Amino acid sequence: MSGATLGLAPLRALRLPPLGLMLAWAVVAVLLAWAFVPGFFAWQDPLAGIAGRQLEPPSFEHPLGTDGLGRDMLARVIHGARESLLGAFLAVSVGLVFGTALGLLAGARGGVTDAAVMRLVDTLLAIPSLLLSLSVIILLGFGSINAAIAVGFVSVAHFARLSRTEVLRVRRAEYVEAAFGSGGRFLAVLWRHVLPNAMTSVLALAALQFGSAILALATLGFLGYGAPPPTPEWGLLIAEGRDFLATAWWLTAAPGLVVVLAVLSTERISRSLGARRT
Amino acid sequence: MPTTRRRLLAAPALLPALAAIGTRGAAAQGAPVRGGTLIYLEQQTYTNLYPPAGGHYPAGGVLNQITDKLTYQNPQTLEIEPWIAESWTVNADATEYVFRLRPGVTFSDGTPLDAAAVAKNFDTYGRGNRDLRHAVSEVITNYQRSEVVDPLTVRFAFRAPSPGFLQGTSVIGSGLVSPATLALPFDQMGDATKIIGSGPFVVARQVLGRELVLNARRDYAWGPAKHPHQGRALLDTVRIIVSGEDSVRVGALLSGQAHAARQIPAFDENRIQGRGFQVFAPPTRGVNNSITFRPDNPLVAELAVRRALLHGTNAQEVVDTLFSPNYPKARSVIASSAQGFVDLSDRLTYDPALAVRLLEEAGWTMGPNGVRQKDGQELALTAYESPNYARSKDTLQLIAQQWARLGVRFSVMAGDLGSRTVDSLDPAKTPVAPAMVGRADPDVIRSNYHPRTRNMLLQTGGVSRRVQSFNDPALNALLEAIAAEPEQAKRLALVAEAQSLIIDKAYAVPLFEEPQVFAAAPRVRGFGFEAVGRPSFYGTWLAAR
Repeated sequence: MSGATLGLAPLRALRLPPLGLMLAWAVVAVLLAWAFVPGFFAWQDPLAGIAGRQLEPPSFEHPLGTDGLGRDMLARVIHGARESLLGAFLAVSVGLVFGTALGLLAGARGGVTDAAVMRLVDTLLAIPSLLLSLSVIILLGFGSINAAIAVGFVSVAHFARLSRTEVLRVRRAEYVEAAFGSGGRFLAVLWRHVLPNAMTSVLALAALQFGSAILALATLGFLGYGAPPPTPEWGLLIAEGRDFLATAWWLTAAPGLVVVLAVLSTERISRSLGARRT
Repeated sequence: MPTTRRRLLAAPALLPALAAIGTRGAAAQGAPVRGGTLIYLEQQTYTNLYPPAGGHYPAGGVLNQITDKLTYQNPQTLEIEPWIAESWTVNADATEYVFRLRPGVTFSDGTPLDAAAVAKNFDTYGRGNRDLRHAVSEVITNYQRSEVVDPLTVRFAFRAPSPGFLQGTSVIGSGLVSPATLALPFDQMGDATKIIGSGPFVVARQVLGRELVLNARRDYAWGPAKHPHQGRALLDTVRIIVSGEDSVRVGALLSGQAHAARQIPAFDENRIQGRGFQVFAPPTRGVNNSITFRPDNPLVAELAVRRALLHGTNAQEVVDTLFSPNYPKARSVIASSAQGFVDLSDRLTYDPALAVRLLEEAGWTMGPNGVRQKDGQELALTAYESPNYARSKDTLQLIAQQWARLGVRFSVMAGDLGSRTVDSLDPAKTPVAPAMVGRADPDVIRSNYHPRTRNMLLQTGGVSRRVQSFNDPALNALLEAIAAEPEQAKRLALVAEAQSLIIDKAYAVPLFEEPQVFAAAPRVRGFGFEAVGRPSFYGTWLAAR
C-alpha cells in the first residue's frame, strides 16, 4: 500500500465501511425510494405524453428531456424502478425458494435423489440462460410477472447447486448427527439445524443474483418480452430510445446508466456479504 | 380501342412528394453514367419470393428488380402501359383478356418468355397449386383458364367479370418467372438464387437474412416501352443489405457507407435533408394505416364500443407527434391518392365526449382502477406491433394513451415473429390489429377485408381456425362485387359504398396515409418507384462525386 492510503487510516480506525460500499448502499437506497414513492421524486406523469412536445432536449422542466411520445424521461426512469426492482425481487425469490429446496433435498437425502436432482440441475445449467428464459416466457406468455418468473427459473440451478454443497458440509457436522441421534425427525432437523447454518452463502448469492436479475429483465424488456408498453421498464426504455441515438442520446444513456449503477451496486453489496462470512 | 378497352382512371392530383420524384429523376444533371455498385439498406429480410407473396415490402423490393410484368403501371399517371405485352384486348364484360407479347424476351436461365410461360405463370397465380403449396394471388379473381393462341399470343378466360385483372398484371405479385421456378415448392422459394426472372437484374449471390447481391443483365433490352430509360440497367451491381435498426440505417447512409435506404423514420427526415441528402415518400395508394377490430372478440363485438374507440382516437395527434407532412391524416379507409376515394372525414371526427357517452350507454361503467367494466369484465384490449408499418409501436402506444383517457386499457406487445403470427390469427388474443396495404387498384379494399384474402377483421371462412362466428355477409358481398364489376364508374361507386360501410360499422379506425419513405445520397440519380412505392433500380445511376 502506498502513501495515498495512509490518509484513510484514521477513517479505518472508525471502522467505517469502504467508500465504494457506502456508495453502493446509497444507490440501492435511492433506487428503493424510487420504487416505493416514485411520486416524491418525479412530479410528471410517466405514461401520458404531451403531444407536440416530443423529443425535447434536457431542460429545467424535463431534466432528461422527453421521449418520442412527449413523455418526461426522468419520470419514466424513476417509475421504471418499481417494475425493474419488483421483477428482480420476484425473480430472486423464485430462484431462492425453489433452488434452495432442491439443494436441501439433494444434499440431505443423498443417493438416488441427489443424483437425479443434480443431473436435472446440470441440464438446466447446460442451456444458455437467455434461451432458457425465452423458452419459459413463451410458455407462460408475455408480461412483467412472467418475465420475472422466467428469469428466476434460470437461477434455480445456481441456488440448488450452492445450497447442496453447503448442506453437505453441515449435514455431517457433529451437532446434526447428534440431533438425529437424539431422535429428531428428518424434516425438523433439516429446518432447525441444517437450513440456518447453510444459508449464509446462499443469501450472498441471492444478492449477487439480484444484480443479474435486473440485467436479465432489462434484456427481456429490450427484446419486447417484458412489461408491455407503456409501462416504464428500464430495458424497454433503452430499447425505445435507441432509434434516437443520433439525435437524443440521453434517452438511451440515462436508463442504461441506472441499470449499470444498480447492477454494480448490488454486486458490491453481495461481495461484502460474502466476505463477512469468512 | 385497339390497345386497351378501358384505361384505369388516372389519379387527378398527385401528391407533391411524387411530383418531386419525377422532376428529380428527369432533371438529373449531365448524362447518365453507367456502372458502379449501389448499396441499398433494407429494414427486413425477404422471407419468400413467390411473386404473389411480394406484397411484403422487402420481397417486393427484390422481385421488382429481377422480374418483369406483362404491363407497366405508370407511377405518375397510373395508366397501364405496354411492357412484356405489346398490346392487349379485353372483352366488354371483362371475362376474356388477350395479350400479344413482345418477341425475343428470355428469362435469365435462357428459356424464352413466350405465351406458354405466361400461361403457366397465370395458371399458377390464378388457381394456385395445392401440391407445391402455391397460394392464389390476391390480385386475381374469378380466374378460369389460359390458352396459348400462338407462341406470342395468350388468352385468359374468367368465370365472372374480373375488371381488376389488367392492373393486376402490372403489380409485383404478377412478376413473370421461369417455368423452372414455378416447379419449385413454396418452401424453396425463400432462396433468391432459385428465382429466375427476366428482369434487368439477376441474383448473383445471397447471404440468407443479411445480404443479396444483384448484377445487371447485360442483354436486357425489354424495359417498359414508355420508361425514360431503355436498354440494360445503368448500375452494374446492387447490394441489398439488411439492417434492422432505424438509427443504423440512417447513420450508415449519412456517413457514406450506403447510397440508399428504405423505411426512414419521420423524425430523421429533417436531419437527412439538412445534410443535402434526398428523401422520397412515394404513396402506397391503398388501405390507410389503420387500427382494425376483430368483432369475433366479445369486447369489440358491440358497434357502440367500436364507434366509441373510433371517436376516441385522435389521428391528428398521431400525425403531429410521430410523423411528418409526408404522412397525411387519413380521410377515409383508403388513401386520397387511391382510386375510388371518398372523403369521409366528417364521420371520423375526434370527439372524446361522444366516445364516453357511447361507452356509458352501452353499459361500460368506470371501474375502480380507471378501466371501464361491464359484468365484471374489463375493457382491456391487446395488439401486437407490426414492424412492417412505420413506427407501429409508437403509434399504438399513443393510441393507448388516448384510449386510456376514455377508460379503455390497450396493451401493445412486441414479441417474436412466431408468437405474433399465431396470436394475430386468434381474435381472443388480439381483438385489435394494425393494418395497411398498398395497391393502385380499387380491388385493394377487398384484398384487405375479405375473409379469403387478408381477412383483417378475422371473419369465418378465412385462414384462421380460431374464429368462432363473426361474419359480415353484407360487407363480403360488397367486396366481391367490387372485384367483379366490369364498369369502372359502377365499380368506384361500390368502393365508395364499402368505405362508408366500414366506417359506419366502425370496423377500422383509419389513422394516416402511409407512404414508403426512402432516403438516398446526393449522388444517386433516377431512383424510381413503382405505383405503390417499391424501389426500382432500373434507371438508377451514380453521379461522380
